Parts: sequence; C-alpha cells; structure tokens
Amino acid sequence: MSGKSNRDRGKAKRIVQEQLARERRRRVTLWTSLGVVAVLVIAGLIGWGFAASQENEKTAGLTTPSVAVDEGTAFAVGTGPVKIDIYEDFMCPACGQFEASAQTTIDQLVADGKVTVLYHPIAILDHASTTEYSTRSAGASAAAAQGGKFAEYHRVLFANQPQEGGPGLDNGKLIELGRSVGLTDASFADAVNEGTYYPWATKATDTAASRGVNSTPTVRVGGKDLTDRTPQGLTAAVEAAGA
Amino acid sequence: MTATWPWISTVARLGLAAVWLGAGLLKIGDLAGSGRAVNAYEIFPYEIAKVIGAVLPFLEITLGLLLLAGLAVRLIAGISAALLLIFIAGISWAWSQGLQIDCGCFGSGGTLSAGQTPQYLLDIARDLGFLVLAGILLWQPRTRYSIDGVLMGEE
Repeated sequence: MSGKSNRDRGKAKRIVQEQLARERRRRVTLWTSLGVVAVLVIAGLIGWGFAASQENEKTAGLTTPSVAVDEGTAFAVGTGPVKIDIYEDFMCPACGQFEASAQTTIDQLVADGKVTVLYHPIAILDHASTTEYSTRSAGASAAAAQGGKFAEYHRVLFANQPQEGGPGLDNGKLIELGRSVGLTDASFADAVNEGTYYPWATKATDTAASRGVNSTPTVRVGGKDLTDRTPQGLTAAVEAAGA
Repeated sequence: MTATWPWISTVARLGLAAVWLGAGLLKIGDLAGSGRAVNAYEIFPYEIAKVIGAVLPFLEITLGLLLLAGLAVRLIAGISAALLLIFIAGISWAWSQGLQIDCGCFGSGGTLSAGQTPQYLLDIARDLGFLVLAGILLWQPRTRYSIDGVLMGEE
C-alpha cells in the first residue's frame, strides 16, 4: 500500500517538475527571442548610422574643381553636339583596355567637332589596391583638371596603370606624371599630397551610382548605354545619336 | 539517433555562423560598395539600396555571432532561412532580367566587366546549401556548447 502511494507521490512530483521545467523553457525562449530581435534591430541601426557618418566623413571638406561640369562631377573635352559620358576608374583594367582601343577614335570625333566627351573619374575599386589608388588617382585627375590638363593627365594615368592587388602608384609618381604633361605648378603637387579632391572623388562616385553606374567603364552615348565598346561601335552610336 | 542529432545540428550551427560572419566581414570594410552592389540589382532606388547595403553586413555579422553563441538558435535559423530566400529571389530576379552582375554575396558585387559571365546558378546552389543548414537547425535546434542549452538546463 505505502509502496504504491510513494510511487504515486513520486510520479506527481515528476509531473509537477516537468511542468515547471516546460514553463521555464517557454519563459527563456520568449525572453531570448525578444532580446535577439532587439539586438538585430540595434545592429541594423548601427549599420545605418555608421554608413551615414562614414559618408559624411569621406565627403567632409568637399572641394569641387571649378572646371567640373555636370553637377560638378565630370570634365568636358570637346564641344560637339553629341554627348559621350565615360565613367572610369583609373584602377580598372577594362577601362585601360577601352582607352587603349578607343582613344584615337574619340580624339578624332572631338577634333571633328562631333562630340563632347564628359569624363567621370570614379572610385569603386579602392579594395583592388592596398593604398586606395582609385580615390587617390581620381583626386589627382581632378587636380589636373583644375590645372587645365585633364585629358593629358588622364591619358598618362592609363598608360601607367598599376597592377590590381598592388600598392598602385604613390603620390610622388602621380606628381611626376603630372609634371610630364606640364603640370609643374606647386598647386597640383599640393593637391595630390594633401588629398584635396578625395572628398570630391567620393561624391562623384556616389552621384554616378545614383545614376545607375555600377561598373567601369560605363560609356553612354547621348544618354544611352553603349554595349559595343569597340571603335566601330562607338562611331556607330555617335552617328545614330547625331542623326 | 537522438544522441547524434545535437552533434549534426552543432556542425550546422557553426557552419551557418561561419557563412554569416564571412559574408558580413567581407562587406563591412566598404559600406558604400555594399550599397552599390545592392544598387546593381536595379530593384530599389539608390537611396534605399544604400541603406540596405549598410544594414546588411551588420545584420549578417550579428546573426553569425548569435549562432556562434547558440542563442535563440531556432529563431535565428528562421531569420537566416528567410534572408536566404530573399537572396535567392534577388539573384533569380537579376538572372531573369538578364543583368550581368556579381551577386555581391561575399563582398565586391556590381556589374561584371566584359568577358566575365555571371554565376547565378552557382550562387543559387550555394544559397540552397546554406538553406539546408538553416533547415536542419529549424528542425533540430538543440545543439552542443550553446547558450540555449545552458539556459534551458539541458546537456
């Protein structure tokens, strides 16, 4: 008799304990879930705030070259009726190839008074060098534009394009290249050394992205994306846009 | 089998944690680039793409850390699965629209340059693999060496 009631008591106790444990698990699950959701929301907000402050920081002290056109993001070469927008990153190998193959055609189109080329140096490949060469070279090209030598400087930058994954060209080399195209002014060297136009490069990159430029080179003839970037394709697109 | 599942789930938990941590850490150094990668999908206006690009890496790292700690594993697995389904939908969208982009899943992203082909099928297959890990955890959230285990008084 007493053996059975002991067993019953033991069983009842176990049931109560199990219920308590279940109750406890439910509580723990509820609170950890709430906590975890809160943590995720906070992490997201931190990311948002972090990006906003990073953008502010990178565009603080913005100096826009006075010669820049198109919302202060581009440098114009030529005065022809058809507009060619070229978004390039001086680090990007495909941009170097495009320049090498299309340069004479572009020069000819400019000389014939058919096109106005708007060069948009942007910096989307800072991770491809160890020294943020994209931003530094874009900034240097802005300084060259300010010195009246954008087209020439842009050309020597591509002619001396560094390998991806390396340190890029140092500021001394950027200044030396400037000197080779006639940028002998101290103001050019100062702008390169002080990174005067880095915030401008960031801003120009952001503006380009807002226009749907997700890669370099992006070439637009008369506002339309150029898919065939061969000299023939470029000439055909210019003719189509000019007609 | 009852003794085996917590170990399988533990492996799945740590694997998924590594995936999230890797994905987040590879993006966090360049939040503007992350925004551009989202923008390349051409789904959201740029301003919204920028916010998503900024929030996502932090979210991914937090998910990774929570999985590593083993806190609220079933819930995190559910959120992971939802996020992965959204990613798969995004990649499928890019594919269906004929966009030539890098998915930006683990950093980089953006439009591919000439001569590069998108790896959409591979990207989706990879995400499906991660989805299996999340599925295992949804089904069997009990794992070894987890805060859940300590709090629940198990193990």
